[in-house]
Amino acid sequence: MRPEALRGVRVLDITRVIYGPWAGTLLAELGAEVIHVELPGAGDVLVRPVAPRGKLPRNISSGLLCANANKYFVAIDLRKPEGVNLVRRLALRSDILLENFKPGTFDSWGIGYRQLRAVRPDLIYVSMSGFGNWGPLSDRPSYDAYAQGVTGLAEITGFPGAVGVKSSAWIGDFLAGTYAAFVALVALVWRRRTGKGQFIDLAQTEVLLRCMDWTWPFLGLTGRNRARSGNRDLAAVVGAVVRAADAFVAVGALEEKEFQGLCRAMGREDLLPLAPYRLRTAKAHLIYEGLEDWARRRTLAELEAAARQHGFSVSKVMDARDLHSSEHLRSRRAVWFFEDPLWGDLVLPFALRLGATPGRIRWSIRPVGFDNEYVLRKILGLSPQEVDELYREGVVGRWDPALPFASPPPDWDGKRGLFFREGTEVLEEGQR
Amino acid sequence: MSWSDWAREATAPQAAREKPEALEGILVLDVSRSSYAGLFCSSLLAEFGARVVRVEPPGGDPARFFSPEGMEVGGTGLAYLVEGRNKEHIVLDLEEERDRATLRALSARADVLVETEPPGSMASRGLGYEDLKALNPGLIYLSLHTFGQEGPLAEVAGRAGWSCSDTVTQAASGFVHTTGLPAEYTEFPEEARVPTRMGNWLAWYAGGVFGALAVMAALLWREESREGQAIDLSPAEALMCLNNYALPYYHISGEVMERPGNVEPAAHPYCYVRCKDGMVFLAGYTDANWKALCEIIGRPDLVDRFPTVSSRTDPAAVVEIVREIEKFTMERTREELVAIWNAYRGPGVTVCGEVLTPMETSRLSHWYERGALLRVTDPTYGELLLPGLPAKMSETPPRLKWVCRPAGADTEFVLLDLLGSPRAGEAPTFPEGAAPAPRGGAAPGREDL
Repeated sequence: MRPEALRGVRVLDITRVIYGPWAGTLLAELGAEVIHVELPGAGDVLVRPVAPRGKLPRNISSGLLCANANKYFVAIDLRKPEGVNLVRRLALRSDILLENFKPGTFDSWGIGYRQLRAVRPDLIYVSMSGFGNWGPLSDRPSYDAYAQGVTGLAEITGFPGAVGVKSSAWIGDFLAGTYAAFVALVALVWRRRTGKGQFIDLAQTEVLLRCMDWTWPFLGLTGRNRARSGNRDLAAVVGAVVRAADAFVAVGALEEKEFQGLCRAMGREDLLPLAPYRLRTAKAHLIYEGLEDWARRRTLAELEAAARQHGFSVSKVMDARDLHSSEHLRSRRAVWFFEDPLWGDLVLPFALRLGATPGRIRWSIRPVGFDNEYVLRKILGLSPQEVDELYREGVVGRWDPALPFASPPPDWDGKRGLFFREGTEVLEEGQR
Repeated sequence: MSWSDWAREATAPQAAREKPEALEGILVLDVSRSSYAGLFCSSLLAEFGARVVRVEPPGGDPARFFSPEGMEVGGTGLAYLVEGRNKEHIVLDLEEERDRATLRALSARADVLVETEPPGSMASRGLGYEDLKALNPGLIYLSLHTFGQEGPLAEVAGRAGWSCSDTVTQAASGFVHTTGLPAEYTEFPEEARVPTRMGNWLAWYAGGVFGALAVMAALLWREESREGQAIDLSPAEALMCLNNYALPYYHISGEVMERPGNVEPAAHPYCYVRCKDGMVFLAGYTDANWKALCEIIGRPDLVDRFPTVSSRTDPAAVVEIVREIEKFTMERTREELVAIWNAYRGPGVTVCGEVLTPMETSRLSHWYERGALLRVTDPTYGELLLPGLPAKMSETPPRLKWVCRPAGADTEFVLLDLLGSPRAGEAPTFPEGAAPAPRGGAAPGREDL
């Protein structure tokens, strides 16, 4: 098996919901050892119960599943001083710490960056929040939908005659979480060069502001607001989602050759003079009206054939079923089928195709506290007696069996999927 | 010192210029074309101190002109003014063997190459990973394309010469299917109740940041192994990873997630509702918090009608609940609603926040204090409002050094500096008004922001 790029890197992930957990997952998919800390009993109550219509097939929480893979789940009661102490001990053995609590919370608990750097100066500490650790709005909450709303992203999405639309995906969490993973690795490069850690303050709203293409220079230069343009891209022309006879289809033709191909396919040679890119955007609506009119009377298959023949790009507006059954995505393992050591047959999306050090999915989510022994015994090196004591004091704990979203599958045999068992070596899935 | 004061002092963007850069000494060649996935990726690296050489075809990358209403400043479109930052802008004609040789020579010195051509196109010109690896085994070669470099659709895209379009990538990722107003919202025009592309170039951004993440991992690996590698990154697959549980939930339940409009199908209300002057975000989806929300809007009857999470997330009830809440909110402004929510002192927690237009958010001082939005004056492009640097860092903060340069403005400087001569055997040509000044060291004279 080819090596993983981040082998030997340990990440302490004390985060909730999506923004933080997703950053930890990306690092875990690249080979880091990631310890995910929750509260005993219910675990992360903000995300574990999240499931469409409350459905939890095999006790699997969809909210948890979509942002967690390859992590060790430990449950520590951070409200107890001994719990905080345990987190401190884990931090001292970690390279990167991720947290997305309200700014200042960890500092008030004595495990903020100021306290940890005193004993671990090379720690990389990433504080993830809605608006940052300082500044006039820093006390505002971190919600994806609020981030999409307050930045203006929702107001530039959708149709002019209706209302602004947010993505149903928690993009303020997922995109910012991806950015957080990237920045953590930038800091790791610096640490390998100098031995120095650092504090990183990352606001999810600011990542969304960064990703709104020409919005800000347009406002600055024109004094006008950016209007919604529905399914037509008015700056990268041609880019549109159109209604075909039997499906919604996206059409793209950015290069001159692609544009010429599209004009020929549409029988609209009159538009050919617009092929040089700089002539196109001023006439964008003319082009899009022609495209929409042409596509309406054609099937997806006809549009695909025209795109192959004439050299412009198309894609069906894919839904989950289309993605799941795509030969293309399956052949690339972008749709990653795997046998999870605990849950059995599962699928996750995957994109980190590095040639020499490919990322991979080893396992998915875990019940609350499922990896307590792996973390406490193997990583912290505690004795069985010390671990028993922590359980007795309620400093660590496992899932509340009354809560399906916190628990193992209903048919769990008490052993399946555990990476640490007394008297045996760690199972293969858990080996680094 | 309070935590926030300490954090402000440790990460103040004004002090960034005094601090070192994490990626100093890393040389990146961005030969991307018609794609902001490549441009965003190389911007991320440039913001942290990598030296990025931006390679464009004669006349400029079409992406330089992707701009609303054909607007240009100094011959450059508005989007490119965001992603030209901190880069050295050169022109090479990769249709000519002479310039391909120049690119190979640059690749021999580079750490990272970013490209977005149709699959196979670089290799057909002797510029593929295998070609360049032979010259530089440490090279990290990032290919970004909607359909990737392998697989049945990569072959189709390569043969047909498809570029890496944002809209097509959004559709191919599954994202468009789950975005937009559902058909039930009869209060809106029919043409607006369809699967909807994100207004920003979200697929390009997803591809770009995944690409930058993968490059960082590859750089860390190279320190251990001294080996580079090829990275085959599909922005469609990246965005697919960011689309909640659409794919894994289909696998475990057989159900396809549909576009829900401005509500959250797994927790309701966690949504936008309309009001007198726009929309607000409301959250109050657990039973206790829903009670608080109903208390605020004076509608205890709604608690009885929709008492549980599953009764509220029942698709038949979702739109009805929004309409009932809007009876209250439509009579009030965003400001009034936020004040009403903030004044609530009863049991339960419910949140109300403004949905702003870009113009409204551009007036918040918070973004400027934190350098998330920047007002700059550039010697070539004048006064501009630009997105800034999201990450605040105590040791190696990112920074904006200069905004952009005309296509080819740095050709002579870069070739002299990196290869010791202008391109083989000929005097270089430059666009008008872009006279290069010979300089020592990386891109001096532009640290003026």
